[in-house]
Amino acid sequence: MSFQARYRMIGYQFLIPTFLVLLLVVAMPLLFSLVLSMFRYTFLSPRLNEFVGFSNYASVVHDQYFWNSVKVTFLFVLMVVPLEFFIGYGIALMLSRPEIRFKSIFYFILTIPMVMSPVAVGLIWRMLLHPELGVVNYLLGKLGFGYVNWFGDERLALFTVTLVDVWQQVSFMVLLLLSGITSLPKEPFESATIDGANWLQTLLFVKTPLLMPIITVALLQRVITSFKTYDLVYILTSGGPGVSTDLISYNIYRTTFMGLDLSVASAVSYMLLIVILAITVVIFRSTMKGNE
Amino acid sequence: MKSYKLLKQTSLFFTYVALILFSLMIALPVLWTLRTSFVNEVDAYAMPPRLFPSFTFDNYRELFGNDGFGEFLINSLIISLASTAMAVPIASLGGYAFARYKAGGNILRFTVLATQMLPGVVLILPLFIVMSRLHLSDTYLGMTIAYLAFNLPFLIWIMTGFFASIPKDLDDAAAMDGLTPVQSFFRIILPIALPGIMATAVLSFIFSWNEFLFAIVLSGRNTMPIPVRLAAMKTRQGIQIAKLSAGTIIAIMPMVFISGFVKRYLISGLSLGAIKS
Repeated sequence: MSFQARYRMIGYQFLIPTFLVLLLVVAMPLLFSLVLSMFRYTFLSPRLNEFVGFSNYASVVHDQYFWNSVKVTFLFVLMVVPLEFFIGYGIALMLSRPEIRFKSIFYFILTIPMVMSPVAVGLIWRMLLHPELGVVNYLLGKLGFGYVNWFGDERLALFTVTLVDVWQQVSFMVLLLLSGITSLPKEPFESATIDGANWLQTLLFVKTPLLMPIITVALLQRVITSFKTYDLVYILTSGGPGVSTDLISYNIYRTTFMGLDLSVASAVSYMLLIVILAITVVIFRSTMKGNE
Repeated sequence: MKSYKLLKQTSLFFTYVALILFSLMIALPVLWTLRTSFVNEVDAYAMPPRLFPSFTFDNYRELFGNDGFGEFLINSLIISLASTAMAVPIASLGGYAFARYKAGGNILRFTVLATQMLPGVVLILPLFIVMSRLHLSDTYLGMTIAYLAFNLPFLIWIMTGFFASIPKDLDDAAAMDGLTPVQSFFRIILPIALPGIMATAVLSFIFSWNEFLFAIVLSGRNTMPIPVRLAAMKTRQGIQIAKLSAGTIIAIMPMVFISGFVKRYLISGLSLGAIKS
């Protein structure tokens, strides 16, 4: 055996436990799910004796609720990620000013939502945004605004969920971008100042391009996690009113544990999987580039 | 020159205003919940609300008394600790293999990352079926194993970063001294990486503590952790705002407290260790 091959073998030894566990809790369930998606398998008749091929996938494609969930999920991601990015970038830029004092207090406050369970976040905002008993509507009333039905209004509910998610996740954006800003080299900014660039020009043409790798990671990371959002909807709206906040993860949960159709749920899962995998390829490529 | 200074002062002033407003937006909802957890039920939903209408420990007393919240806390503690304790050693070995030996090349590393991107709902259904068949649903063992599905990939990813930042010379020197690779890992590398590993373990603990999807599907009477119990309380929240607030505070306070110890790692951990701090 060559030296190289032996070297490799040692590496694989360290990987054995990882392999076994991932096989057990990830690979096998996934495979099982793939099999399920090609059979008729329900809670009432949990047997693999009726092979149906891709017909479950076909029924998913023809299911209007599936397409509604896809639409709602994309809308959600498209609102949440830019909102978090622009607010987060703004706050990060402010916090990065060297004159700002009491930074550790700001950091402490910022980390609170990040370590909270989405269940806790959802419950807190459900109480605050309660149409009759919530403080938010009371304060809005004091300011002369009318009654807002945050979760009951079909056109508003998704936006409300978005705001709550932004409240919880924007800190991640702030702290990640801040860590990028503070590790930037000084020279480009000095020469930009010498060239007479103003504040906005420096931001747009020097700072932001230099931050691009970290911005990419932050955005992709948030895109992927927001695609998976589930707990918040479970607590805040249960997908409603109607199906206006029926995010895809929640849809799958519903089909599985309330609709009891495990095969169709598996088929939807696999379609979601393909989307996530595609995004992962992008994130992996970009982080790989960043590491070289 | 004078006007420049004035401009700078003004912009600094507005920066402070914006930062303070933003911090209040983040902090006030939590503080209001804290306040509500200490008032009685009648005051909790009184309209208009008053800032400090009453002060009582009754909500907490009731939660820990009749509602058996102590039990749910212990369930959360056992599951989170056990899952972390199982995941950390495995992930250390795996991360080391990726960082030092480039084992499996990019494809294997990609697989681990992809695993982390998996939506929980995709895994939970088959895991639920398997766990039920093995009579492992609603047991600590079953939940601990299932939690590895999200804990392990994330830990491996961060630890790969840790081990990659430890100079390779150390391994070479150890080999020169006649240590086997396994000895060199345990005697030389592990002690150096230990602070980072401990911090990552805390992160894994926080993740497990907050986990909801796996918990709601796999837990039952015997193993129900805090988030599942809290979610069950929401149906009655109209009449129990104060108690629900107290429950929420119980769930988040331990995490806020321990997050102070891992501040430095919080961000690199949550960003999949994709950035080097």
